[in-house]
Amino acid sequence: MSEVMGDRGYMGKILHVELPSMRVHTEALTEDIAYHFLGGKGLGAYLLFKMLKPKTPPLSPDNVLIFATGPLTGTIAPTGNRFCVVTKSPATGTFDDSHCGGPFGIALKRAGYDALVIRGAADELSILVIDEDHVDLASAKDLAGMFTYDAEREIKSRLGRDFEVAVIGPAGERMAPIAGIFSALRAAGRGGTGAVMGSKKLKAVAVRGHKPIKVYDPKRFRRFAWIAHRMVRMHESTARHLPRYGSANILETINEMGALPTRNYRSGVFERAEEVAGERWRETLWIRDVACKGCPIACSKVAYVKEGPFKGTIVDGPDYETIWALGPQCGISSREAIARANQLCDLYGIDTISTGNIIAFIMECYERGILTEDELDGLRPMWGDGEVMVKLVEKIGKGEGIGGLLQQGVRRIAEYLIKAKGAEECLFFAMHVKGLELPAYEPRAAQGMGLGYATSDRGACHLRGWTAGQELLGYGGAVDPLTTKGKAQLVIDRQNEKAVVDSVGICFYAFQAFTLKEIRNMLVSCTGLSYRNNRELYVTGERIYNLTRLFNVREGFTAKDDSLPERLLKEPAPEGPAKGHVVRLEEMLKEYYALRGWDENGIPTKEKLEELGLSKFLDISMIVH
Amino acid sequence: MEVSLMVGKELRLSRILDPEDGRAVVVAADHGFMLGPIPGADRLADTLRRVIAGKPDAVLLSPGQAINMHDLFLGRDKPAILIRVDWTSAFRDRTYPLPARTVAFSLSCTPRKAVKLGAQGIVSYFFVGYEDEEFEAMQYEMLARLSRECDEIGLPFVVEPVPMGPRVTKANRTDLIVMSVRMATEIGADMLKVPYTGDPESFKRVVDTAYGTPVLILGGYRALTMKDMLEVIEEALEVGARGVVFGRNVIQSPDPARTLEAIRAIVHEGKSVRDVVLGGIKGRMRLVVDNSKCTGCGICEMICSFMHEGFVDAGLARLRVEGSWPGPFSIKVCIQCTKCVNACPTGALERDEKLGYIKVDSSKCTLCGECVEVCPNQVIILNKAKPHVLICDLCGGLPECVYWCPRDAIRVMEVRAG
Repeated sequence: MSEVMGDRGYMGKILHVELPSMRVHTEALTEDIAYHFLGGKGLGAYLLFKMLKPKTPPLSPDNVLIFATGPLTGTIAPTGNRFCVVTKSPATGTFDDSHCGGPFGIALKRAGYDALVIRGAADELSILVIDEDHVDLASAKDLAGMFTYDAEREIKSRLGRDFEVAVIGPAGERMAPIAGIFSALRAAGRGGTGAVMGSKKLKAVAVRGHKPIKVYDPKRFRRFAWIAHRMVRMHESTARHLPRYGSANILETINEMGALPTRNYRSGVFERAEEVAGERWRETLWIRDVACKGCPIACSKVAYVKEGPFKGTIVDGPDYETIWALGPQCGISSREAIARANQLCDLYGIDTISTGNIIAFIMECYERGILTEDELDGLRPMWGDGEVMVKLVEKIGKGEGIGGLLQQGVRRIAEYLIKAKGAEECLFFAMHVKGLELPAYEPRAAQGMGLGYATSDRGACHLRGWTAGQELLGYGGAVDPLTTKGKAQLVIDRQNEKAVVDSVGICFYAFQAFTLKEIRNMLVSCTGLSYRNNRELYVTGERIYNLTRLFNVREGFTAKDDSLPERLLKEPAPEGPAKGHVVRLEEMLKEYYALRGWDENGIPTKEKLEELGLSKFLDISMIVH
Repeated sequence: MEVSLMVGKELRLSRILDPEDGRAVVVAADHGFMLGPIPGADRLADTLRRVIAGKPDAVLLSPGQAINMHDLFLGRDKPAILIRVDWTSAFRDRTYPLPARTVAFSLSCTPRKAVKLGAQGIVSYFFVGYEDEEFEAMQYEMLARLSRECDEIGLPFVVEPVPMGPRVTKANRTDLIVMSVRMATEIGADMLKVPYTGDPESFKRVVDTAYGTPVLILGGYRALTMKDMLEVIEEALEVGARGVVFGRNVIQSPDPARTLEAIRAIVHEGKSVRDVVLGGIKGRMRLVVDNSKCTGCGICEMICSFMHEGFVDAGLARLRVEGSWPGPFSIKVCIQCTKCVNACPTGALERDEKLGYIKVDSSKCTLCGECVEVCPNQVIILNKAKPHVLICDLCGGLPECVYWCPRDAIRVMEVRAG
């Protein structure tokens, strides 16, 4: 039996809560598990794989909802504040890990837990209250339908200001697969985490604790944390661009590279990009920089609309993805409309990326006559019309009228349109992978991103294999965005590294400024885990990525699902530097599987899994022969 | 009569590296012809005047600047001139019109012409890691040519290795710098201009590889705060670097002369970052805040509790960030008003004579809480688990919050006694 990790980075305990019985027990976090899966994504993947019966419907009580922190969460590591939500996604049916900054993860650790695992469902809308060893269920019937922020404020005023709260909005209560979990103006937005929480009839989880998060070697840890801080404070992106222009600092460059998806991915060039670039936001609507706990970057901004039809809007953000989804993706360049739509998404508790995609998809359907004004509650969604976009966001948030269909996400809308109207053509431009809507990098102009979307463990996600840094921005060594050569290895490296970042409890942005070496130095001095070299840490990332793959394989996903919307594979980019290019997925995918040690069907081989030490922890005999 | 070629080099090098300590503070102002009019380089004559007022040992110029602005360098007490003899598109990143797609490169000046323009040395890039090995070979051949020519005319040759290209990764960057430093010294570089590798251990490898050839570190993008920059310099010097070539950190500074003064203090006067950050405060000091800069990140609270308690707990921090989204935030610190000293019924509190903070006598404190009552900023911590109240002790002279704040929202100021 391996030693329990407590008082050194980890709290050493995982809290299990069974609903509605409120049977509660804790599981020890051993050194063996900590070494092999770290925390956050890795720990969540381990727990989910172990606990979830294959083919469990995502919105059934049997699905498991996990809040997991990392060993660096709640320490002085730069951006050491992250937690993630791990569950089986109702949007895709795949593994889902969605990450969030803010104080909630720190509070969970200070309550004494590295992770919280929720199973079953409450009888009525409730709040799960965790006050260190006291775990209770409080009624939230009177909070039904309440906006995320209002609910968070109300719960804090009832329980105490030192509670940190993760909530869902009205959309989560309705189990819309685009609903996220929100906390302190941040969101674990993607993949429908909020719907799973809604299915468990939890309006919120509130946590408080006063336990110290101790570290293994404070003196060394301080030094390594400081070196990492300083690298963040001196790097081009994290010291220069992000603090001033937020994540939208890249928008104009991405556009110049022909990689800013425009009008539902028809083009990668938006003619009014400068209107929505970070620089313009800073000049006009942004009034303040705000940071998550322990973050020297402060990429987050407060937008305030002083005049016009959306006067009075105040919102945290918008960030690059949100600006894009509610802006260029719908042909929109009104900053005020984007800010308002972002605020509505946050209040109703829905993912901005998916929401923007849904509206863009509807705009294209309307243009093609697949949907008419009558079917759209009298709205005429035309490209570039910010006011209609805001109205649609509101309908989606409320789930009213056409919003009832739209809240289901692009894939289900397309399926409905095919079934109800025989509109087979809409498959061509339904921009999702495995049911998750696409993010803001046009893969025809950055081939690696295309491979990343296709092989991401949670459907189309830019944050699994973020090759855009190298392909489009020149960070960490520029590569040609239009070639497929070398992209398989590039994507694999980014995916494995990111799995480490997502598991230790720091933010991906900070990682732009340093390397696995700095993470290892912090990790080892924080926890005493025996990582002897950077390679070992990389292999842990690989282990975690193989584990999430294995989860998806167990759910029935294979190579045929690692695909992209037809538009990206068949319709050449019409303009810009990528003009004439499609995503050459097939050739990259083959190389990807081979380099991954997966068979041609995309299934990890037994040798690979043994090499990674996965068979030691989990029963994989059913999946891999 | 045969003249030793090294005489000219030695004399000219001594105009750059101060013979007293063998170190140099060089300001790079050659961005304009590669990057266009970036801030600081747009009205260069003005900037250069202010730079020269800060007394750098040398200034790196483009050939055109050396012609147009030579009058700024007339006089015996003026800095030496280094001339960039090559040109590249490589640094024209996405913030510039027409970002570079590949590294294009050409010579812009010969060593002989540089001498004509008054140069005490020339600087050239050396790109490594580019996909095209022919390109690397071409570069190396050019370096060899420049080195030969410099030897012929006794002109110091400075090489600037730049790892760049698709085969450069975060992981191999340091190794590539080490390798290219070695290659540059082997071909006859007299001095090297090298990016800092992030920590002293890895940079020591760079310096050791240079095998006695002076290594100057370059600045790159402007750091968030001046102390970050100074600390990097201090660290690099400790492992054997011989000075700096800083561009944007100086020319984009609101006060280049003051920035240079701080850099000179570290490089030439042997001062520590701590001395410079404290601005020469010897006696009593207290914290002052600029709330308009605060982002609410709470790093000050985190590091305060970490340094005093060994773990992060904002509740045990001796200062506090107030305010929540959407701000504004305000930082509450001990202002040493001594109301607590007067209120304490047991005489447990007194002012530290040397630094001026409020000292707690653990044996006398009864945790009665009278001090907490009167504290105007509510920054005295009473926690039942602690044997006495907690009050800011200025970390014994260099407050960690000042050091870690990424926006310079907390500083120290001198308090005159009495």
